[in-house]
Amino acid sequence: MNVLEVRDIKKSFGSKKVLEGVSFSVPENCVFGFIGRNGAGKTTTMRAVLGLLKTDGGEIDVCGERVSYGCTPKSGCIGFLPDVPEFYGYMNAREYLTLCGDITGIDRSTLKSRCSELLELVGLDKEKHRIKGYSRGMKQRLGIAQALINRPKLLICDEPTSALDPVGRKEILDILSTAKEQTSVVFSTHILSDVERICTQVAFLEGGRTAFSGSIEEIHAMKSDTALELTLARPEDTGRVTATFPGCTVSEGKLIFPKASDSDQAELMAFLGAQAIPVMRLERHEADLEDLFMEVIGK
Amino acid sequence: MKGFTAFFSKEVRELIRTKRLMILAAVFIVVGIMNPAIAKLTPKIIEMEAETFDSMGMTVGEVKVTAMDCWTQFIKNIPMALIVLLIMMSGAYTSEYAKGTLIPLLTKGLSRSAVVLSKFFVMLTVWSAGLWLCFGITYFYSGYYWDNSAVKELPFAAFGWWLFGVLMISCIVFFSSFAGSAGQVMLGTGAAYFAMTMIGMYKKAAEYLPSRLCDCASLYKGELEPSDYFKAAVITAAVSLVLVAAALPLTNRRQL
Repeated sequence: MNVLEVRDIKKSFGSKKVLEGVSFSVPENCVFGFIGRNGAGKTTTMRAVLGLLKTDGGEIDVCGERVSYGCTPKSGCIGFLPDVPEFYGYMNAREYLTLCGDITGIDRSTLKSRCSELLELVGLDKEKHRIKGYSRGMKQRLGIAQALINRPKLLICDEPTSALDPVGRKEILDILSTAKEQTSVVFSTHILSDVERICTQVAFLEGGRTAFSGSIEEIHAMKSDTALELTLARPEDTGRVTATFPGCTVSEGKLIFPKASDSDQAELMAFLGAQAIPVMRLERHEADLEDLFMEVIGK
Repeated sequence: MKGFTAFFSKEVRELIRTKRLMILAAVFIVVGIMNPAIAKLTPKIIEMEAETFDSMGMTVGEVKVTAMDCWTQFIKNIPMALIVLLIMMSGAYTSEYAKGTLIPLLTKGLSRSAVVLSKFFVMLTVWSAGLWLCFGITYFYSGYYWDNSAVKELPFAAFGWWLFGVLMISCIVFFSSFAGSAGQVMLGTGAAYFAMTMIGMYKKAAEYLPSRLCDCASLYKGELEPSDYFKAAVITAAVSLVLVAAALPLTNRRQL
């Protein structure tokens, strides 16, 4: 069953159309990367999913329940980490989590152990100070803890890593990967390496539409046209190779063979061997997310 | 309900930790002590200034202070305490909306109505406790130095002020449901008060207006009876209720 179904949602602010038909679905227990440029509408989509924003059209189902504006899907279903989480500075982490637990109606005895468990998960268990002294990374971690307090089926994180240093980023990604065992995670980002690190499913948002949605494997399958990059030891051999393989292009002294299959590669290597052309380097380029992203946004 | 109680205790903790409760308590206590103190000191001050008056050609006779002077101070000073309370609370809602501190809690199923009502009840509690604390202190000193029985309808007069304060707090709740900042909320509340004063210029309307409740002097002197305040009290209570009730759907519709 899909934890989240978004069908053709639309939203405009005044005359500015932000979303023009966004659709995707998130299955259970996966980490879903929601990718798009700054201003592509990622936050808008997420706020719509949470019922914090009125959409102009389309449907959103969370755990089979229809989301409408002003009413967040029934508690227990969704956990949310805003891009810049704001807490009450005069509380400490444990007090804040207790407040969140009280609101969701967890009974006090369960809540105490749940708080300790979560604080340990996010590494704030030894932190006794009030939140006002926290760094952004710490706030982000507390944000994940509060989002997980009621064991939601869906955890939505809005750019959780964008403003963090490499160490903080790694910590957050590790926590999210751990969280996957209990919940589905949707996180928006424009940092593609983060996506490749932990996501199993992705959706690209561009021009207010979902330009692509599917699993990481599907992306690799789509872009199976691996490119070969050849650097010759003697630049004067370049002409002989291009004469035989007209499909290749020369750039900065390198020969690039786009969309080269395994047999193309074998053929090239056989040719180089037969002609006794010395090779400095031959490299296979797997298509990565960045290529696809660039293709999707048309650059 | 669980959301309401959880958020209410959060509000109380906020008041204590941000030291706002301490400041407000101090204000109400100081005002409570100041009322009899000023009354008590008035003759001394006039005596000290007697020479100045003399040189201006005025002769000052003996000034006799009674409980009436003390309670006149009470109705002069209690608005000050109310204004301090209103200013301190004017950002209670808007700052949370602006900072986004409510988002994590709302997405956990906390209803917006629970937020609106728990903040309202916290303000109501603080105002009630503060007013009656102030009243108690003034009553104690006034009874100690003079005779409280010389002044009529003391508790009812204080009740009138209390109800008027409730209306002002309801104004904050109402304006906060759509205003963007604490300044706008204060402006709205001030405008509401101003409008009331303008309408009060028509003598016929005066007895229906909430501002009638602030006219304690006539009550103290026995010129007016509590029953003369009945219409104004009912209208004040009804308007307060309407304002708070209207704030609920407005807040639900508010874009956060």
